[in-house]
Amino acid sequence: MSALRDLLFHLARLAAGAVFLYAAALKVANIDAFAGNVAAYQLLPYSYNYLVAAILPYVEMITGILLLFNVQVRPASLLLMGLNLLFIVVLASAIWRGLDIDCGCFQQSGGGEHVAPLAALLRDVGLMVLLLISYAWRPEPRRGIF
Amino acid sequence: MNDTPRSAGIWRHVPAMAYILLVATVLGLAVNGQLVRRAFHGESMPRADAPLTATIDAADQLPLPVDLAEIQPLAAAGAVVVDARHAADYAAGHLPGAQSLPLGELDARLADFRQRVPADTVIIVYCGGYNCHDSFTLGQRLLAAGYQDVRVFEGGFPLWRDSGLPVEKGAP
Repeated sequence: MSALRDLLFHLARLAAGAVFLYAAALKVANIDAFAGNVAAYQLLPYSYNYLVAAILPYVEMITGILLLFNVQVRPASLLLMGLNLLFIVVLASAIWRGLDIDCGCFQQSGGGEHVAPLAALLRDVGLMVLLLISYAWRPEPRRGIF
Repeated sequence: MNDTPRSAGIWRHVPAMAYILLVATVLGLAVNGQLVRRAFHGESMPRADAPLTATIDAADQLPLPVDLAEIQPLAAAGAVVVDARHAADYAAGHLPGAQSLPLGELDARLADFRQRVPADTVIIVYCGGYNCHDSFTLGQRLLAAGYQDVRVFEGGFPLWRDSGLPVEKGAP
């Protein structure tokens, strides 16, 4: 079953890497709007929303690239699992507080699509599975001659 | 075979994770440092997608941001709250006592507004929240029209409503 496991590992890391790189690109293109979307969660003091908006997309970008290129896959997927867990907690708190806000996960502009926190939370749970596979099923590098 | 237990394996990755975070922080601050600095100095944010002419014309005159908690004391002290959204949005719900002045109808209604509101009045403008830039643009236009103290409530109507503060309904 090792071949199937390896295949699933590569599919999972490519999918997760692409998703986070895509999310990062949309945020980097509109940091202002992303800061606004972070602020809408009403969890941080005003200025810190901008600090998060300035840095978070680059964490997603770097880890996404690492997953796509199959480099440092375990640190990258562990980091993303932590981040993803944070997203899930934050989304759950938005649902708990009954906030009618956009997720801010991907598309940053208002107006158009409006992804509700519950849909975003379920999506993050799916991403978590991909990241777990990327972490746990990474084939061990072959050591020695045989 | 790898004979280290998996739990020990997790901690093995901490230095690489810290390194990734460090690089992301340096990169993010290098690219967006100015934005973050402005936010921490409480300066107002000219939006990247705000009309360029408005940014240049009023470069030395930008509306200041105002916090949710400051609105009620300011209003009690005589500040006028202005709703920059469409009249229909205003009718569906607005801040108590707010005057409707949709950005799109400003040209037609500015003269009337100036007759009712003296130029030394503190004005607080808001619209549909962080994704809405009409309040900022309207603030710039009011400054250009001679109002001396114009502030923008960036959280707008959604933040006000979601904070559980009273909402007024009805057409202007």
